[in-house]
Amino acid sequence: MSGLRLLTVGGVIAYRALFNWTTPGMFVGTLLVGPLFQLLFFAYLGRQLQVADDRFYIVGNAVLAASLACVFGGTMAVGNERRYGTLGHVLLSPRSRTAIFLGRAVPYAGNGLLIAVTTLTGGALLLGLRVPPGALPGLALALAVGSLSCACFGLALGAVGLRLRDIWVVSNVSVAVLLLFTGVNVPAAALPGWMAAAGRFLPITHAAEAARVLAAGRGIGAALPAIGREVAVGAAYAVLAAALLTVFEAESRRRASLDTL
Amino acid sequence: MIAVGALLHAKHLSRSPLEIAISLVVPVVQATLAVYLLRSGGAGDRLLDAAVGAGMMGVWSSVLFGSGAAIQNQRWQGTLEMIMLAPRRPALVLVPITLATALTGTYAILATLLWGRLLYGIRLDFAHPVAFAVVAPACILSLGLFGLLLAATFVLLRNANALANTLEYPVWLVSGMLVPITVLPGWTGPLAAALPTTWAARALREATGGGPVWPSAALCVGIGLTCAVLGAFALTYVERRARASATLALA
Repeated sequence: MSGLRLLTVGGVIAYRALFNWTTPGMFVGTLLVGPLFQLLFFAYLGRQLQVADDRFYIVGNAVLAASLACVFGGTMAVGNERRYGTLGHVLLSPRSRTAIFLGRAVPYAGNGLLIAVTTLTGGALLLGLRVPPGALPGLALALAVGSLSCACFGLALGAVGLRLRDIWVVSNVSVAVLLLFTGVNVPAAALPGWMAAAGRFLPITHAAEAARVLAAGRGIGAALPAIGREVAVGAAYAVLAAALLTVFEAESRRRASLDTL
Repeated sequence: MIAVGALLHAKHLSRSPLEIAISLVVPVVQATLAVYLLRSGGAGDRLLDAAVGAGMMGVWSSVLFGSGAAIQNQRWQGTLEMIMLAPRRPALVLVPITLATALTGTYAILATLLWGRLLYGIRLDFAHPVAFAVVAPACILSLGLFGLLLAATFVLLRNANALANTLEYPVWLVSGMLVPITVLPGWTGPLAAALPTTWAARALREATGGGPVWPSAALCVGIGLTCAVLGAFALTYVERRARASATLALA
């Protein structure tokens, strides 16, 4: 019970403290309106080239929209502790580092889910996509799993931030890599084999596949394998994040570089 | 003064790993996406257009984020009071910064062209190579002048960062950098016509694939100069207001 409290309440408190740069205007502009324009950009490009239909772009970009909050959020969850000089205090805590930091990912995943749902709704209304009502619970599950998986990916990047001075380079490049490798905007069949293969080890790829299956009205049964793969990818990144945090924390203590910026 | 200032700020920006990563990686990713989309859409003959368009997208990103945050960045660095104390008009002090952000964006065009040539074998067969060499720098500098207006406008807005984050894709979209504006809803036409980015993208596309380059380039430069004049007035107003209320250094 105490561990669960640390994971949820601790995560929410850290979110409120570290996400302090945001204001309602900035939140809406950056996280809700920006991804919607990204969706429209690729939907119109896709229409012009007739590579895929609107559903492909609307659903794919809605799932990808979560990555903005999750990747940057996960990175900030660790990086901003160091930036604000509170990392040492967190690491002095006698509680489990894994629980502390994994709890950080949860609010960002919730944020990502909100953004994905808003982007999907906005895109569907603007471009006239009809989603079968029966597909909505499954879609919500696919979007939630994608967001959580992406938040774990962000946390792993944040752990790398314990060693690098400029974590924003890592997060910006990672968001660009997700855009290209996840097959959200280019069908996987049109990507080179190695790129499609790399994409299968990234978050979003399988969640987008599941969401497309569901939006096409094929039922939750057809989407479950892809959702399962997304859960596996997310779990792998959670384990990687925990391992990296442990290793880099020990290394930072040894080299006395914990708070070095 | 403008040339030396622009060079100084360009050097400063080129020391930032984040600026370099954004200027190089993001346009290359966009260019790669465009290459695979065009190939799978059977439009393989437009790959050079896509490389140039993706490069222009990088220039716009650099101007939008660099110029939009030009004054704010000076505040954070603690150098805003110093540059405002200079015995020059505020616009003359700030235009080198916005030009430097546009010059940094030049990396993006060079990177996407080099990327396309080396990795995808895109032949750099420009319809008007001389015009391209003249028009590209002129358009980039015009976008830098547009950046002055952005800098002056954004400093008045409390949530300017949010506006910058929101404006990247819409301007890419309505300017026809990758998506032809003919496929967009009709109401976007007047909006596109008022943006220098539209005419810059069009001039470079015409220099690449053929067409009347100079009218589009002239419109881009004309709008850029108009933005510079408007930006200069706005900056003078902002500076006076900030001095009167003693809020120049307040973030």
